[in-house]
Amino acid sequence: MAYENDQNVNIEESESNQASNASAGTGSGASNVARKNDYYEKSLKKSKKLSKGELKRQAVLLILGGIFVVYGLVFYYLPLLGWVMAFQNFKTKKNFWESISKSKFVGLGKFKFLFQLGTLKESFEETHNIFKSIKAWIDQADFIRTIRNTFGMGALNLVSSTVMAILFAILLNEVKNKYGKKFVQTVSYLPHFLSWIIVTGILRDVLSSTGIVNDILRLFHIVDDSYNFFMHPLWFWPIVALSNIWKETGWNAIIYLAAITAIDPCLYEAAEIDGAGRLNKIRYITLPGIAPTIIILLVMNIGNVLNAGFEVQYLLGNGLVQKVSQTIDIYVLQWGIGKGDFSLGTAAGIFKSVVAIALIAISNTIAKKSGQSGLF
Amino acid sequence: MSINKKNDEFALNYGATHGGESDLTADEIKRLKRMAKKNTKRMDAGGWAFVIINTIFLVVFTVITLYPILNTVAYSFNDGLDALRGGIYLLPRKISFESYKTVFNMHGFLVGAKITVFRTLLGTLTSLIANALLAFVISRRRFLFRSSLSLFWVITMYVNGGMVPVMVLYKYLGLTGSFWVYVVPGMISAFNVMVLRTYMEDLPDELEESAQLDGAGYLTIFLRIISPLCKPVYATIALFVAVWQWNSWFDAMLYNRLKPEYTTLQYELMKLLSSVSKQGGNAGTSATQAAASTQVTTVSVRSAASVVTMVPIICVYPFLQRYFVTGLTIGGVKG
Amino acid sequence: MKMKKFIALGMAGMLSAATLVGCDKGGSTGTVTPDPGTPSGGEEGGDATVAAEDIIDFTMFASMEGSELNPGNEIQEIIAQKTGVRVKETWLSGQTAEEAVGSIIASGDLPDFIDGGNGMTDLYSAGLLVPWDEYLEKYPNLKEMYTDVEWDTFRQSDGKIYWANVFNNTYGEPRPTGHNDEAFWIQVRVLEEYGYPEIKTMDEYFDILEKYYNDHPSFTDPTGADVPIIPYTVQAKDWLYFGLENPPQFLDGYPNDGSVIVEKGTGKVIDYNTTPTAEAYFKKLNEAWNKGLIDSEFATQDHETYIQKLSKGQVLGMVDQNWDFNYDVQPALKTAGLDALGCEYVPLGLTIDGKRDNRWHTYGDTLNSSSGCAVTTSCEDPDRAFKFLSDILEQDIHDLRYWGIKDVDYLVDEDGLYYRTQEMRDKQNDPQYKASHMCPYSYMPQWLGTSRDGKNAMQPQEQGSEFRSGLSEPLAKCFEAYGCDGYPDFIGSIVEVNEPWFPMWSYSNELKPTHPSDDPDGQWAEGDDWPAGIAWQKMGDVKHEWLPKVVMAKDFDSEWGKYMDAYNACKPQDFLDDMQREVNARIEAAK
Repeated sequence: MAYENDQNVNIEESESNQASNASAGTGSGASNVARKNDYYEKSLKKSKKLSKGELKRQAVLLILGGIFVVYGLVFYYLPLLGWVMAFQNFKTKKNFWESISKSKFVGLGKFKFLFQLGTLKESFEETHNIFKSIKAWIDQADFIRTIRNTFGMGALNLVSSTVMAILFAILLNEVKNKYGKKFVQTVSYLPHFLSWIIVTGILRDVLSSTGIVNDILRLFHIVDDSYNFFMHPLWFWPIVALSNIWKETGWNAIIYLAAITAIDPCLYEAAEIDGAGRLNKIRYITLPGIAPTIIILLVMNIGNVLNAGFEVQYLLGNGLVQKVSQTIDIYVLQWGIGKGDFSLGTAAGIFKSVVAIALIAISNTIAKKSGQSGLF
Repeated sequence: MSINKKNDEFALNYGATHGGESDLTADEIKRLKRMAKKNTKRMDAGGWAFVIINTIFLVVFTVITLYPILNTVAYSFNDGLDALRGGIYLLPRKISFESYKTVFNMHGFLVGAKITVFRTLLGTLTSLIANALLAFVISRRRFLFRSSLSLFWVITMYVNGGMVPVMVLYKYLGLTGSFWVYVVPGMISAFNVMVLRTYMEDLPDELEESAQLDGAGYLTIFLRIISPLCKPVYATIALFVAVWQWNSWFDAMLYNRLKPEYTTLQYELMKLLSSVSKQGGNAGTSATQAAASTQVTTVSVRSAASVVTMVPIICVYPFLQRYFVTGLTIGGVKG
Repeated sequence: MKMKKFIALGMAGMLSAATLVGCDKGGSTGTVTPDPGTPSGGEEGGDATVAAEDIIDFTMFASMEGSELNPGNEIQEIIAQKTGVRVKETWLSGQTAEEAVGSIIASGDLPDFIDGGNGMTDLYSAGLLVPWDEYLEKYPNLKEMYTDVEWDTFRQSDGKIYWANVFNNTYGEPRPTGHNDEAFWIQVRVLEEYGYPEIKTMDEYFDILEKYYNDHPSFTDPTGADVPIIPYTVQAKDWLYFGLENPPQFLDGYPNDGSVIVEKGTGKVIDYNTTPTAEAYFKKLNEAWNKGLIDSEFATQDHETYIQKLSKGQVLGMVDQNWDFNYDVQPALKTAGLDALGCEYVPLGLTIDGKRDNRWHTYGDTLNSSSGCAVTTSCEDPDRAFKFLSDILEQDIHDLRYWGIKDVDYLVDEDGLYYRTQEMRDKQNDPQYKASHMCPYSYMPQWLGTSRDGKNAMQPQEQGSEFRSGLSEPLAKCFEAYGCDGYPDFIGSIVEVNEPWFPMWSYSNELKPTHPSDDPDGQWAEGDDWPAGIAWQKMGDVKHEWLPKVVMAKDFDSEWGKYMDAYNACKPQDFLDDMQREVNARIEAAK
């Protein structure tokens, strides 16, 4: 698959294509895959006939699958009926059905309130400058600002945590000392086990006026008095990203370490013979080797970019940084639940779902177009 | 098994393109290895630089990761008032166990601990069974609705009805105000199913085939053949779920607001953080004891509570660790 | 087999963890053993006790942070035996009050009793509350809480009463010893150090703080620790930022209408955010900031951090409402022995020029009809619920709730006056004792003022003898030096009857971004934008962001200009117009 572009190694074209057809889970040895595909095709043909015996055998799968579908319908799809609320001025009555059926329909009113397109139009007519008017729009329309924040922090988190996890996995893999490696790896997982409540608490301590960061800054005379990091909007996104890196790098790296160990050691030996240094080996063997894993995780997580923020921002936010700290989820909580406008909250939730689906479809297509296996 | 196959395959390929001949003699291999050794020696300077930089990076990384945790532990054992002055790094300056006493004296904290242990055990077990079964169904190549079922679940990762309908649903199902709200709704996670599926699909089909020939049904195949082979990935998923269960507090707040008997550890931690100040910072009973224990502060109690809530889950981890590297693969190469 | 082993291992790990967490349990339950079997209740009221199996459990949620009672709380059990009802209270935690009430409404997961704070009207319009009217007639104790005119202010659009505010309600003779409102507070040791000077303006206030701070940058607390001093702090987060935000109204001599100033006589609404006094006030804070007198973390601190600083005696002064800090801070100071060092606070009634009347203290009851205690529709036996609310107003139970058990928590002298020994007072400051023994049901109907026996106070803090003997030495000296009998005397607000529109915050609290219902006059429909609500929300956001910035500015004037630009962009006039309309309506209604 990914080895195609590698100059040192050459896998037969046909074989690699077969491999990427196999499914998301490609890869146990090329020949194995080829054989598996043979078998797969044969069995497919067989199943198309759907012999009675096969149907009977599959009954247990059908029943299990059925149970899971019912479960999924109840817990994930049934609540989607609630999307109706977004087009109503939902008011709670004694029970939910009564509320839904008696609430007044307001069409797209809630979406209009969210997006405040009027503001954009007004300011464009005033300035005739698209950038200026977008800036004014972000400034005045709360929801637009939360979209920016969610995307901004989501993307920053995704990129920084992916890069860090890959870097960490690769560098750790280069360590030859077995005990050192084990120690570093074990330590790296630890923060993952802490809840965000604890992590934000720790963050406050570390960055407080008596915390170590300020101590160090004072030591090197970078600041005279202690610096309050939570006060400056510029710092908020980086703090969130850094805390994500701190908490999850080791954990996220597990999956890449697994992928690295699966790379054929012979490739490294061969490269060594060719005189490749460590950096070159990383560049030409390790990275291409884990590329499918990177891609599929990226595709999967891009759909989650809009989910990238609730707890940290909720726990760390304050009035001074609210313009950069509020995310869509917090908006839903504050306006949708807090101000009792459930319809508004639902409308915001629909927007989030739609964007997530769009993002994942796009990234999946790009991944497939560029020759990688996608998510579906 | 498959690793060896793969190695051979690549070795052959390599041989074919570089050596020009498909089978190398023992002599030739020896020669190549010697060459490789020489090459490594030749690159010593660059190699050393790499090792040094790499080591520095990892040491810094480890220190940054470890320091805040050790610092929290130090704070938790330090006299609260004394800690206000700052300057506590890795070791407590004035040792005191008052913060721990405060934590353990809180009634809710003990209830929360019990519930959390229980939900973690039960939740992990049920979730593991459910996810494994679903992954098993989806990974059967001959299953009729294979792709539609997996799409059905992938969608749930990204689309949801929002908080309000979900709360209404739980209320209707009688989950609100009960312990089951911790176990039932979150039982299946599409992401975990994906991880499990990938692993199961990579198991050799011959196993299933031969069992079928022996007349085994799918359930038998799942229990006797697939599950034993899936140990590493089961361990990984179990840890995923256990960590999530252990650290949950939002569900306790949202659905068991009126049922303090179903509180969780993290929710109690949350409450503790907002109420420790209101407790006047003491938990003793006699006046003298009370006066002594005013040496706890928000920071010291938070640190102690954090340590108490993080130690157990960290303890579970070593049991599962050895399965990780082989267990966690998705969408790509696996060993 | 191996699978089993691995699961067993995992379980073992977690169980050992569990024992690790649980191991102290024995120790903690040993401290207080609730013994509901031998209540002294029988002799107190003399009425029959209810059999254990007939006792019914109700739940209550209050949208305020609080401490839960331990199961088996002793006085709770006594009250349960007398009334047949036990109420399990839960409190706000991890969410804002609005979010909590919103999710309760959305999920329909209702307690039997609720105090939803600002969310009461939402609960009402969702049809989740039981009207009081029928029960007011049935239970005179409840009816007695307010006059008919006062009860009318609680009536909702359907003409019924759904809740009653439980606070600030005086029975019989008022006994104002406390100042529960807002003030510039100052530690008594600062006053003592400079011979109890008179402080009337912000200049004098900050001068004395600065002087004290220069003389004592830190102090030694009773445990021997060296504690750094913070001359001034204030909260800037969430709704508790009022200490930063609203002093301009008081400095101008107006009472706490909360959201606007309403001019005496004319009833004209004035925006206190933009007055010259506001600018002068923030300029003064800015000056203090640049001198290093203000807590460097004030803008980002949480409520608990703030309370902690106060509880450790670190803070010399701040603006706050008494109820927001002193119920936590004073017991903490006492248990730590910091009261003997003069770390307790007295309030000051500052004005901008020190020459005008001030109205920091509100005499008489402030009737906030926008919130209170309610019974919900999910209560299966509302009659019993209301009967309980009535029962707990009976004098013997009221005494149990606030004074405790006779001879255990208080003694009675030969004149029939209640008093406590020092040991009893110490116990009342011990949260562990309170959680397992005391049961005030503090968000349910209650009285202040004088007890039905005509001698004692309804609640201990208002008992004159208790108040005086509870004063620490430095505090007593301070009272004497200024010739004050109670806290309100420190403020010296003028005594007058409240205006008919007071307090305006009971209206502004209910503003929403969209109209919750159709206007009876047809001016707006349900779901339309409510410009006043939108403006109010945005003004709040802007103030949360800019007020700390203004205080911390290097160049105050330019920062103030920027703040004013941002503020005016929120269209505050929409809000002010609506407030004016409401003032007029209230004046009209009072005629």
